[in-house]
This record gives sequence, structure tokens and C-alpha cells, in this order.
Amino acid sequence: MAPSTKAQWAQPPSKEELERRNTVNINKETVTNTVSTDFPGHFPGEDHAFSIDRFQSGFDITFHQNDQFHASFSLVGIDASLANAFRRILIAEIPTLAIENVFITNNTSVIQDEVLAHRLGLIPFKGGREGLRNFLRFKKGEDAQDYDTVQLDLNVTCTVNTDASPNETDPLKAYHNAHVYAKDITFTPQGRQEQYFSGEDAIVPVNPDILIAKMRPRQTIELSMYMNLGVGSDHSKFSPVATASYRLMPTIKITKPIIGADAQKFANCFPEGVIGLEKVSKKEAGQRGSGYEGHAGELKAVVVDPMRDTVSRECLRHEEFEGKVQLGRRRDHFIFSVESTGQWDSDELFLEAVKKLKQKCKKLEDQVDNMVR
Amino acid sequence: MSREGYQVPTASAGSGAVARGSTGMQDTRSSIMSYLCGDCGGSVHLGKDSTVACPHCAGRVLYKERTKRMVQFEAR
Repeated sequence: MAPSTKAQWAQPPSKEELERRNTVNINKETVTNTVSTDFPGHFPGEDHAFSIDRFQSGFDITFHQNDQFHASFSLVGIDASLANAFRRILIAEIPTLAIENVFITNNTSVIQDEVLAHRLGLIPFKGGREGLRNFLRFKKGEDAQDYDTVQLDLNVTCTVNTDASPNETDPLKAYHNAHVYAKDITFTPQGRQEQYFSGEDAIVPVNPDILIAKMRPRQTIELSMYMNLGVGSDHSKFSPVATASYRLMPTIKITKPIIGADAQKFANCFPEGVIGLEKVSKKEAGQRGSGYEGHAGELKAVVVDPMRDTVSRECLRHEEFEGKVQLGRRRDHFIFSVESTGQWDSDELFLEAVKKLKQKCKKLEDQVDNMVR
Repeated sequence: MSREGYQVPTASAGSGAVARGSTGMQDTRSSIMSYLCGDCGGSVHLGKDSTVACPHCAGRVLYKERTKRMVQFEAR
């Protein structure tokens, strides 16, 4: 080896090499290159030490959808461990208010007390933001206080509707209160709760039409409930999200031209909008070795929007596409989908998850400091 | 006293037990129980020696009434 040429490992990695490292290969029957390698000591001569500057320059967030109860966004340039930490915090560690104790004075409906209590616990509630975030605390000790317990009541009795025709077969018309809904639950503010949860900010079910029980005349439900703050790791009724999940950004690489009828077939292998059809230009057709020679004016397959792909691998099942396409996923591009149950706004939830992770890190830092001291 | 006002008989019947005095009266009161008829749904009051049957429909299946006390459940 000539002394002037550097060894291959001493060169900075090429763009192709970086892309190869950053892609999870999805083959016909296997998934390869699944492990991330961007940590110190893996590649000789390369510095992969974590630094906040390097993270900041490589990190990016884009929102795709931001409705009140459903947010979808991309985190680019982040390790799977962090993305997964956010997901887990979203599900299990952000506190919400839910029914915890049910005091049943009378229940003559067909639904058993235990089952009724369980159903009530799963109903999501909403209320004044200030009151939920800053006024309410976790319950400590036995006694209920206005800052840790919210009281709700449910008193319904089913009666015959005398106005209905005697031949009426629909129980909803023939009887009053044949169905007990979440909207029948009433909230009684205690103490200072009056300031935080009145009018618009009252504590009410997010979905008023959740069916709790069905009754027939002379059946009655009479109960009161205590709500407490809790976290999803204790019970999933406290989880602020219906789903919080991520998937990796799919990549589709067409390595050899797919032209004509094949192109249409190729597009049909993917969800709509992933693959587009374009005419082969004269310039491309004139280029030697491009694979388009003599195909000017025909349709070719091009990748339009890989994000919409479900990575079904359907295209890998067909012989005609063999060796022409490489499917994969970007290792550091996480497409999050956060669906709130209603007590929090979904974009606010992600910020709260970041805050929570920061608090945990601070706590760890303190403990490490104590260890060293 | 409520229907569920059952008191565990005290073994040491020495000092205070006799002084309560009204045990006989309490016995007659607590021996009348109220049930629900399984056939007609009406309420049935049964004494100590009465036959187990509903006076309205002669149904022989009687159910105990639900407690009038509050029952606490965890919503889990």
C-alpha cells in the first residue's frame, strides 16, 4: 500500500455509506441491518459521542396532522431509545383524573355492582385545564380533600313513559331512562373546586353518549363516585392516550427502471399515492445504460410519497420486480401518532412527555451527584 | 335499629347483659324478615314460624333484599 493513500477506515464515511447505516433493509422474508451503530467505538476513527450540539443540528420535528385529539408528527434524527421513552411516558406516566372509588347505595339493574364500577372507571372525563394541571394533586392519606378528590353522582330510575303508545316496542320511547349514559353523571364541586371547575370548565365526560347500563321500569341505580389523579402504569383508565405509537419512515428505492404495464402493476402493489407514473422523457431514453433506451413516451414508476406506504412487501412477491426495488425503513425517522382520550390535547401531551423525561433526568443527575460526593 | 342490626351475642353474660332487659322484644322484631318473591316480585314479610311462600302468588322462591347500606367498590 502506498503510504500517501489513507486506509479506507480513516476516510470519513461516504454519503452512500451513511445512508446504508441508516436504513433497515426489508427483504422478501427477512429484515436485516436492524441494529443502530452510531455509538462511540463502533467505527474506528469516527467520533460518535453524543453531544447536544450534534443532536440539535441533526434533529427535526414536522407535524403532519394536529387535531385536538389526534396529532401525527415526525421526529427525525433521534435514537430509538429516546423515541420509545417518549411513547412509554405518553402511555404510562402522564397523570389524568379518573373514577377510582364507587359507592353504590342501590343498584337493581341487571349489571352487577363490580362490573358497573369497572365500567364507570373507564369513562374519560375532561375539565378546566388550570384546575386539572395545577390545582389537583395526587391523593395522599385517607381523607378526601378538595384538591385531591372530585365527587360525582349518578342517580337514575327507569320509569314507564305514559305518553308513549302502548304498542311501542322501542324501549327508549316506551320508558324514561331505559339507557343510562355518561351524560347522566352529575358533578358536585367541593370547596375550592367551585373556582376551577364551573361553567365551561365543569368536570364532564368527554363523550356524553357512552352507554353505562340498560334498565327496565322500576330498576334504579343510585351511587356516588370519587375521582383521583393517577398514572397509566397503575391502571390503564388513567392513561391519557387511546393510542400513542410510532412507525419508522418507509423507504422505496427503484434500482432498475420499471416501465409500461409493469409500472402500473407496481403502483398497484402499494397503497394509493405511494407510487406515481411518469412519462419517460426523450433525454432519459437517449441516455445509454439508463435502462430507458427506446422507451420514450412510455410510463415509468416513480416514488411519490413513501410515508403512505404500509410496507406490505407485496411488490417483492412478483417475479418481474425482482432485483428492481429495495424496500427499507429509515432508522432515525419516527412517525408518531398520538390519540388523546380527551383530558389533554394531543400535542400538549407530547410536550408533557418531554417535560417528564427531563424531570427524570434531573432526578438521576442529582442521584449520581450524591453517589460521587 | 336497621334490619342488619345484628349483634354478636356476648359470651360474658355477667354484668351488663341482663341489664339490657329488652332482649325478648328485640327477638320478635328481628325475627320478621322481608324478602322478595321470585315469581311476582312483591315483598314478603316472614315471621319465625311462617311457611316459606309468597302470600300473593304462593311462589316458594324468595330472595333476600339487597342491603340498604352503601357498598364501596374500586373502579378497577
